[in-house]
Amino acid sequence: MTVRVLGISGSPHRHGNTETLLDAFLEGAGEAGATTERVVLKELSYSPCQGCNACHRKDGCIVQDDLTPLFDRIASADCLALASPIYTMGITAELKGLIDRGQYLWARKYIAKTLYYSRDHIRRHKGVFISTAGQSWDHVFDGAFPTLTAFFDITGFEYWDNIIANNMDRYGSIRGHPTATQEAREKGEKVVGAIGKLKGVESTPRK
Amino acid sequence: MPIKVLAIATGPRRHGNSETLLDWVLASMGEEPGVEIEKFSLEEIRVNPCRGCNACEVLNKCVQRDDMDMLHDKIVAADCIVFATPIYCMGICSQGKALVDRAQVFRSRKYVLKIPVVPPERKGKRLGVFIAAAGQKMDYVFDGAIMSVKCFFHVTEVKDKDIEYLLVRGVDAAGEVETHPTAKEEARATGKRAVARLREMLGASAGII
Repeated sequence: MTVRVLGISGSPHRHGNTETLLDAFLEGAGEAGATTERVVLKELSYSPCQGCNACHRKDGCIVQDDLTPLFDRIASADCLALASPIYTMGITAELKGLIDRGQYLWARKYIAKTLYYSRDHIRRHKGVFISTAGQSWDHVFDGAFPTLTAFFDITGFEYWDNIIANNMDRYGSIRGHPTATQEAREKGEKVVGAIGKLKGVESTPRK
Repeated sequence: MPIKVLAIATGPRRHGNSETLLDWVLASMGEEPGVEIEKFSLEEIRVNPCRGCNACEVLNKCVQRDDMDMLHDKIVAADCIVFATPIYCMGICSQGKALVDRAQVFRSRKYVLKIPVVPPERKGKRLGVFIAAAGQKMDYVFDGAIMSVKCFFHVTEVKDKDIEYLLVRGVDAAGEVETHPTAKEEARATGKRAVARLREMLGASAGII
């Protein structure tokens, strides 16, 4: 019964700053003994939410595509790390595409009331937001946070922490950032330790 | 010269609440003489997400060929850009976010290449209208969307003070906006105010031959 960590990258830019941070986070989690998996949304084929509200009347989403099995994997993860760079003061259209498709879970939770996460479940499931932004403004992530809060709420994860780095235009790349990659690695380890404790799993000490 | 209005409905649901609000605003603007309106729905055209390649910082154009080519030219030519979106998960819908992100080419032009987005004589004479409909009623439900759409307008050379807002909360089901007590009236007023402001910017006789 290991801790399962699922990292989802919503960046269209392969191996860019945000994906590098996600990789560091997953590495840290792996070193702490977790099973890690990374999904790159750009590699999947899916359509955004159609806004049809069919899920408000009938259970589930009428759109069946690569996101359908991904939602099952999200449901079976102990830790969900969602990664997106900030474009135009928000997350990318790719990650927003995934999040909007979560509407059927919102409908289960708030309309049909067939979905309920106990406080204990939420405590054992941790959500992390990983992001980078070119701009230096401190408020550059503010537009993204409420969207992530909403998604972690409908997927049953406690919004555990952010791993965010702004001012990328100045640093050139994440490799030039003094602390971000190390922070990601450490938080990966830390979250697995925290979940492991709650699940009663001994975390593997770092070599 | 007519006053050129470019309207974009970004929601996936045709004739949904945000598009209905848009149509009310456009109808109100269209009653005024000399206003030329063109409307697109992102459901009918194709605007892919931004690839984040930053090539526009060098090329001054996007490497992707889709309907953004057409919208790009219309965005430059318009006196007024009207952007309508439903709020999904506390933000602009994914389809609308794709359009906003593709405005990166304007950002590159303006801030990196330092090439004017519109000729100097048209600066400060462009109006933006942001229309959003949200199912939720929280007072902060539009905050995230406004941050993004402001960037869209700023890079397309619409000043912060020249953005009009029509934000309607608590409408979710199809057609629900029709039953909203004040939305239609607010939409009509927004349209009238937009035309008045455009005439102020462009000269009192703008559009009237």
